Amino acid sequence: MSEDLESKLREAMRPVAPRRELTDALISRLTEGRDGQEASSAAAPPVTRVTPARRLQRPVWWLPVGLAASLLLAVGIQSLHEHDQREKGLEARRQVFEALRVTNQKLDLVYRAVHDESKS
Amino acid sequence: MKDSAPPTLDEWLVRAAAGDRAGLAALVHAHQRAVYSLALRMLGTREAAEDLAQEVFMELGGKLRSLESNAHVSFWLRRVTTHRAIDQLRRRARVEMTSLEAEEPVLFSPEDSHDPVLERSLRTLLEDLTPPARAVLLLRYQEDLDPVDIAKTLDMPVNTVKSHLKRSLDTLRQGMPAETLDAHEKRRDE
Repeated sequence: MSEDLESKLREAMRPVAPRRELTDALISRLTEGRDGQEASSAAAPPVTRVTPARRLQRPVWWLPVGLAASLLLAVGIQSLHEHDQREKGLEARRQVFEALRVTNQKLDLVYRAVHDESKS
Repeated sequence: MKDSAPPTLDEWLVRAAAGDRAGLAALVHAHQRAVYSLALRMLGTREAAEDLAQEVFMELGGKLRSLESNAHVSFWLRRVTTHRAIDQLRRRARVEMTSLEAEEPVLFSPEDSHDPVLERSLRTLLEDLTPPARAVLLLRYQEDLDPVDIAKTLDMPVNTVKSHLKRSLDTLRQGMPAETLDAHEKRRDE
């Protein structure tokens, strides 16, 4: 059964002929296409094709410029950050000294009060 | 006297690659039925099949110098036609072969010993198959390729080709009325 069905399938699926118009169109379009290719290759100057290898060799000006800009930006950000940190450190030191000075004054006052008290 | 045997298809190919009109015509005549039939049975309408055939042959025109033999041309044409048709079918939201049945494109060889039941079952099967499975069936029974060559043409594992074929034949058998199958068996026994 399987072989019979398969042979039937082969019979039914034999290629069918296209319309005559398609055949004519195919031949004329192919011929025109070839003529066009030849005519254009004869008339036009040879086109310099940019192959991938040549594309790689071409100087890429934006690459070093981009790298330098990124580097400058990174350095700038880093120095800004350092400056900010230094400022914060100085401010903290000022505050510590101020606190020490105030504490010292208070202790001095207390010492004097105790000293005067003991004298009297 | 010099033997004037007609040129072989390989010789026509060389002439076609050089731009010879007769060579190009010979190639078209040799391959147009296969390309058109593959396109027609894949896409379901004459217009779509003719458009695809023209597209494929125009591309062939630019490839002729890189094709080494007529067998190479056949392989290239089958490959490009089936791949393009599969792409087109995938692009379509839905394969609308059923809506085109009103115009009944001639999908099957009219000169054959006509079997309307088999044709109807085949038409239904082709409509229902996925595009790759449809291409497998056509390459097997229209182009008479073996599973290995089908696999090469469609970039598909051989086992996938075999399973597509088995499933399609099973579906076709199920879709055919029992009396038709009996008739096939009887004819074979005779």
